[in-house]
Amino acid sequence: MLAVAREVQIPLLAVLLIGSCAAKAGRVIGARSIDEGIGPTAMFPLPLRRPAAIAICGYELALGIGLLLTAVRIGAGWPADAVRVAAALLFWTAVGALQELRTRRPGEGCGCFGDLSGTPVNWRTISRAALLGAAALASIGAPQLHMLSSPGQAAGAIALTVAELALLAALSPEIGQVMVRLGHAEPCELRRVPVARTLAALRSSAPWRQHSPYLISTTPTDVWREGCWRFVVYPGVLASRRVEVVFAVYLMGRRVPVRAGLVDVDTPTPAPLQRRYSSLTVYKKNTILQNKINIPLNGPG
Amino acid sequence: MLTEVTPHAIVVRATDGDRFIALSPGTVSWVGARVSPSALRPGDPVIVRQRTQQLVSGGASADGGPTASIAERIWARIGRVTGAIVAVRGPDLLVDTGQHGRAPERVVIAEASLRPVQVRFPRLAPGYLIDVIGTRRQDYLLAVAPATAQPPYLAAHPPAAPLISGQFGGPISGTAVWHEPGDEPAGLLGIGYAALDPETEGSRADSGTSGQAQPCVQLPYLSLGSAVRIRNECTDRAAVLPVTSCSASARQFCDRCVACGTSPRGRVADLTMAAFVELGGNLEDGCFNATLTLAD
Repeated sequence: MLAVAREVQIPLLAVLLIGSCAAKAGRVIGARSIDEGIGPTAMFPLPLRRPAAIAICGYELALGIGLLLTAVRIGAGWPADAVRVAAALLFWTAVGALQELRTRRPGEGCGCFGDLSGTPVNWRTISRAALLGAAALASIGAPQLHMLSSPGQAAGAIALTVAELALLAALSPEIGQVMVRLGHAEPCELRRVPVARTLAALRSSAPWRQHSPYLISTTPTDVWREGCWRFVVYPGVLASRRVEVVFAVYLMGRRVPVRAGLVDVDTPTPAPLQRRYSSLTVYKKNTILQNKINIPLNGPG
Repeated sequence: MLTEVTPHAIVVRATDGDRFIALSPGTVSWVGARVSPSALRPGDPVIVRQRTQQLVSGGASADGGPTASIAERIWARIGRVTGAIVAVRGPDLLVDTGQHGRAPERVVIAEASLRPVQVRFPRLAPGYLIDVIGTRRQDYLLAVAPATAQPPYLAAHPPAAPLISGQFGGPISGTAVWHEPGDEPAGLLGIGYAALDPETEGSRADSGTSGQAQPCVQLPYLSLGSAVRIRNECTDRAAVLPVTSCSASARQFCDRCVACGTSPRGRVADLTMAAFVELGGNLEDGCFNATLTLAD
């Protein structure tokens, strides 16, 4: 079983190293700048950051490919052990570098897997590097990969791989980021919602039907947004007085809540507010929010 | 604007008339560096943080007696340029501030400040960001101090904000910075906000800078005129302020403030000078640790 455990480390390490380089490259491509790189390279003097980032990624890629190539018959013997020693050296250097980064730049992520590794370095990140270093050391001297001779051995290898992956996942802050991305539901405050959709929801609502007889135009005079709500103002007349009919439309869901309020246009704005906010419509908007419609800003209420 | 300077007082011309403000031995004045109030010159544009003190002379009661305005801090000719470098010629830079319809601003780094600025902004090259504070000259800013540290990314490619799932609520912490009035009225109390609703405030939200992204701190979409509560975590002062402009710098910079502890990354507010000073910030520091909440 110990021999199987040692053999399993080689493809595992190779996949992690190639994946790490690919994630870093993805980040650089996304940012269109290699200076964007985070992690231990942030500790290098500025002129050395770019070559350091390229060297680390290149080293990881070369080791990943080297581990795979030497795991089969091509590089059996000393080339295989040389690559595995180099991998162990990389991971144990990373342990020291991450510890240093944690001390000198506690807010920095390790950058191990590009954008996913923005969480500040902690004991989990360092333990993971140590675990991979131990795995690389264990793989030195392991025989080349071959078909397992019995179903029992295969089951053992799969169980070992799953257990090690679970341990690595537990030590990886990146898993949390992956889960957030997979199950990401953007809060309504941050979601872009076209005005046309808001107007369509408004016109199919009961408050619209109730207040539309007072409107003198169906073209809004003002539209603005407060988090999850969009406000739409129409000019109107009620009992021979000019009014503004203000609708508040919630921005999430199918049958969205819509509220309506009437603001008397001829009511003067209090002088101190007029002077303070000059031409802005803050007073009007706050009056609508607080007194006329009285909605909570972050929920349909 | 400063109209008169005496050893014991200054006279400042505001929109509502001349204002007489007394000086005290504790008054701190800034013109490119901390100086004595005697270095102030009539004609200087100034921002004054003042406190009102009751006068107890003449036997008046302490409750209803006359009051006097005393200057705590005075900043003269102070300016700030924040944005992407578009051209460099020695210490002379051209900076795109990202404000809609505004021409790039000229910045000259003062000779004595070149090293301190280069320590915080090592890449004075086109495409990189700069944020410096200095004194206003005829058509340029003479930079005397860095306002923050240079982000490692290019101006057009700020990092993405962390994803948030589900409910969004509670205060948002980060850094609050300030900007010069530009087209706004002097003395306006307001904030420049990085997340104006692109559907309704499109012309203001779209910056001249290509590839302008979302701010690196997740902020709810608001509109011009929306009210937000800003709290200065360093002085424990808070105020409800209207959103008065779109802030390009708040979308470009993903920095922290270390005025009192280390703030989370991201500029939650780009205050007008008057608002920044009223909340207890010191303009020459460039920022304060702040918390933003939607005003109820």
